Amino acid sequence: MDIELIHRPGNTAAKVKLQQGETCTAESGAMIAMSGNMDVTTTTHKKKSGGVLKALKRMVAGESLFLNHFEPKSGDGEVWFGANLAGDMMTYNLDNESLIVQGGSFMACEDSVEIDLGWQGFKSFLSGESVFWVNLKGKGQVLLNSFGAIYPVEVDGEYIVDSGHIVAFNETLDFSITKAGKSWLHSFLGGEGLVCKFQGKGTVWCQSHNPGSFGWTLSPGLKPRKA
Amino acid sequence: MKAEIKGGSAFSYLDIELDAGEQITAESDAMSSMSAELDMATRPNGSVFTALLKKLLGGETFFINRFTNNTSGPCKITLVQPTPGEIRCVELNGDSLCLQPGAFMAATDGVTLGLRWAGLTSWIAREGLFKLVVSGNGKVWYGAYGALLEREVDGEFIVDTSHLVSYDPSLKLKLQLAGGLFSSFFGGEGLVTRVEGKGKIVIQTRSVSGLVSWINPKLY
Repeated sequence: MDIELIHRPGNTAAKVKLQQGETCTAESGAMIAMSGNMDVTTTTHKKKSGGVLKALKRMVAGESLFLNHFEPKSGDGEVWFGANLAGDMMTYNLDNESLIVQGGSFMACEDSVEIDLGWQGFKSFLSGESVFWVNLKGKGQVLLNSFGAIYPVEVDGEYIVDSGHIVAFNETLDFSITKAGKSWLHSFLGGEGLVCKFQGKGTVWCQSHNPGSFGWTLSPGLKPRKA
Repeated sequence: MKAEIKGGSAFSYLDIELDAGEQITAESDAMSSMSAELDMATRPNGSVFTALLKKLLGGETFFINRFTNNTSGPCKITLVQPTPGEIRCVELNGDSLCLQPGAFMAATDGVTLGLRWAGLTSWIAREGLFKLVVSGNGKVWYGAYGALLEREVDGEFIVDTSHLVSYDPSLKLKLQLAGGLFSSFFGGEGLVTRVEGKGKIVIQTRSVSGLVSWINPKLY
């Protein structure tokens, strides 16, 4: 599997080249174009192993219930992926490790990668943003998308990230939900509310824009939804 | 203090390194990530009365956050804006600058955020009854939706109301119809702002109200 990112960072699309025998798993709705010999199967979990429970868990995580598997039938093939929000994408090569991805940021991965719901404990409920996380495990390439640019933060010790700005982080990091300011009152009044405090050593990938904040700037002008 | 605007004009974000003892004031919700050692304190945007005016009539938030580095080493903080677009830095040397509602992002010490009466025309154009004026000595960062265009005005210049981001305080703003009565309402331009005087204006290439009016007919 060969991933090429083009038109970064504003209108990023990912071109994935697949050789015969290779399979790429993607979130439903991510495909924008593909070669004619591509065989698409839609399952609720990993190919050839239906797991409805895991799929339901994924739906709770803000991802789709279904996953699409792309496999070229004869010879090589290619498939293009695009995200709904304007922004950058990133690839990550898993080497027998885990990457925790924020609900909506997962886009595609190699067949060999295990997709599961990362339950980060009860504290996830408090973070307000995406309650659930997708846990990508194993060996292989992963494709993630973001709203805005992606910047990595190397954490060694402690670092604070606003919950709407997390794209993914290494499993070596531990996080807790905390206040941004000196006091709880300041944190809530200051509009920062609850933030994630990462501890340990590893990388957090952050997105420069927060879908929630963008939504808030639009909402005063939007007409009310009809019942 | 080291500050760098990254992410290009599409997704600008501000990377700041605060040295020991330094501090920065930022718009509420602007912080996306920061070193855990930084102290954040929230205070009203001016006195309680002016902060309330800023929120209700100036389109700004009631509270602003101040981040202080109380450690002995440098600390990092990243500040962002809600809309995808460009961020610009202005260095004030005793002069002042008018900002449209929501444009203000962050400022160093020595910069004062003030309010000035903008007039009823501004209010009709949904730009707020008061305008935000930044003045003093220091750096100010402001952002927009889309890229930013600069234009020197000498005489008069016409800008679509929702696209104006910042302007010299010496400039006068007047509201008028884009053309005749017919073309103004059916040509989609509606009301425009006439800028008069001599000075610099900054325009954003997109507008939130434009996006909203595009989304609205699609909602059901």
